[in-house]
Amino acid sequence: MAAVSFREVEKSFGATKVIHGIGFDIADGEFTVLVGPSGCGKSTLLRMLAGLEEISGGTIAIDGHVVNDIESKDRDIAMVFQSYALYPHMTVADNMGFSLRLRKADPALTKERVGHAAKILNLVPYLARYPRELSGGQRQRVAMGRAIVRDPKVFLFDEPLSNLDAKLRVAMRAEIKALHQRLKTTTVYVTHDQVEAMTMADRIVVMQDGRIEQIGTPLELYDHPANLFVAQFIGSPAMNVVTGTIRRTADDAWVDADGGGRWPLGSSASGSDGTRVAYGVRPSDLGVAAGARSIPAEVIVVEPTGAETELLVRVGTNEIVVVVHGRPNAEPGATVPLTVDPNAIHLFDPTSGQTLS
Amino acid sequence: MSRSLWRQASSEAKLLLIGIPVAIWTLLPIYHLVLFALSPRGQAVTGKLWPDHPTLDNFAVVFHQEHHYLLHFWKQLWNSVLIAVAAGAITLCIATAAAFAISRLRVRGGRTIMNLALFTYFIPAAFLAVPMYKTMGNYGLLNSQWALILAMVTIATPYAIWVLKQASDKLPLELDEAARIDGATPLQLFRLVYLPLMLPSMVAVGTYALLLAWNEYLYAFLLLSDDRSTTLGVALGSFLSADDSPWELLMATGLLYALPPAAIYYAFKRYMVSGLTAGAVKS
Repeated sequence: MAAVSFREVEKSFGATKVIHGIGFDIADGEFTVLVGPSGCGKSTLLRMLAGLEEISGGTIAIDGHVVNDIESKDRDIAMVFQSYALYPHMTVADNMGFSLRLRKADPALTKERVGHAAKILNLVPYLARYPRELSGGQRQRVAMGRAIVRDPKVFLFDEPLSNLDAKLRVAMRAEIKALHQRLKTTTVYVTHDQVEAMTMADRIVVMQDGRIEQIGTPLELYDHPANLFVAQFIGSPAMNVVTGTIRRTADDAWVDADGGGRWPLGSSASGSDGTRVAYGVRPSDLGVAAGARSIPAEVIVVEPTGAETELLVRVGTNEIVVVVHGRPNAEPGATVPLTVDPNAIHLFDPTSGQTLS
Repeated sequence: MSRSLWRQASSEAKLLLIGIPVAIWTLLPIYHLVLFALSPRGQAVTGKLWPDHPTLDNFAVVFHQEHHYLLHFWKQLWNSVLIAVAAGAITLCIATAAAFAISRLRVRGGRTIMNLALFTYFIPAAFLAVPMYKTMGNYGLLNSQWALILAMVTIATPYAIWVLKQASDKLPLELDEAARIDGATPLQLFRLVYLPLMLPSMVAVGTYALLLAWNEYLYAFLLLSDDRSTTLGVALGSFLSADDSPWELLMATGLLYALPPAAIYYAFKRYMVSGLTAGAVKS
């Protein structure tokens, strides 16, 4: 187990710079998720940590030792690939024991370690099979087993669940998290799926265009996004954002949205009369009920999911998503009153996107 | 129903129309080969479709080297085997190593080498016969079996590299990365991961080079002039140097000469088709 630190890390492919001076620390035993839209540089960063890509600038350290010039095999890391990258000509046991075989480990020790990992992952009945004879989830577990057998300082996961179907993905998510709780090995996990990031991470690093947007625990990012990008990336369905102008009177404050609609502000909200803002509210902080400050909205689509109902409504010209518990009596085309929890709203600078405090 | 049946029948008729002449074209020489080989001396040319008294005497003559054209039959057969196997093995070694270096290790200049390999096919092998003869003379290799082995390797290698490179491009790069992280050196990667996965393509390419050398006539004729060092293919050609060629012995020897390639092809058929077409279409 070990801590990992990135210092001013840069990466260029020819003249194109894809990582712009990234620096952060991962504590010993922490489960860190790198998340961002495709092309944000998260996989590249992971591959630099793995030693599969050269580091163009800055330093990466594992357990206090700078690894820039150290080969992958000497970094004491194990990686699980999106395609699993199992050796097709080797049995499950040989796949899992391959790293020990390369280190010329005692065959008895290899067998014991493989057996132990297989037990953890419920792979014991499959040890003599070949990868082609396994299901997707089993292959995924073999790839994890290969990593466990190594007993490395750091586990690296590169979008490991992307090739699985939705149901299996949820199951494997829990398995990986349980595995981490059991082994407590420092883990760096890359995904583009914010739900995976939220459910699995101790800490999330949100990236965009080769830069870090925000680092924090899942709930910190959800409750206190640093900017519009994080606010809209984290959380599903995404946060509703309308731009408008703050209006204040002696006993009331609201935002006049550009497309129409009078969006209430809480008593603690900053910003003087006439300030331009981006007004953000999560779908779950909206409700359908009549009230003094409710906003009339026209229902466009009703999507019942069972316990909750997702409504797509139109306020002025802005389309807003609302998630309500239960089954509201709403028909497409009807007008419903929308209530906002004014203390749950987020205000952002409309040009820089930064959170206004 | 009847329309589709008609269409099916007519398309099969078209195939038959092409297939039957091709089959006759291919089988007729083989028929003659067998007919002559089984006929007693002088009987083959009498116009009969099958000899009255088929005999294996011709083979006995060949095996006992009882004709002055066949004095070195076993030696020449051995030469053919030696040269074909050596050329196949050396080509395979060079091409596999080159494909690994170019496709997996991404060595500098790999692209240029691939283009050069392709370029060699703009020059017919026959054009190079005389320069090759001169070169082998300079090295003092004329009349040595090494001359023919090296010439065959030279001719077969570019194509072999091309095919193996295409095939190894198809192996996912993550396998190499996983092996590197698992602690494999490039040589271990080559031995433990790359070779086992490339085996089908390697069988196909090795067989290709082996058969190329086995069937070679021009270079063998030029580079090996001594009866004791030349291949059976060249020896067969020398049957025709006299006016009264012993056709039945020529055909019996030819039939024997044709058997090994047929056997090899049938043994490795499934690798040949998948291996040689592996590089054909980039998927």
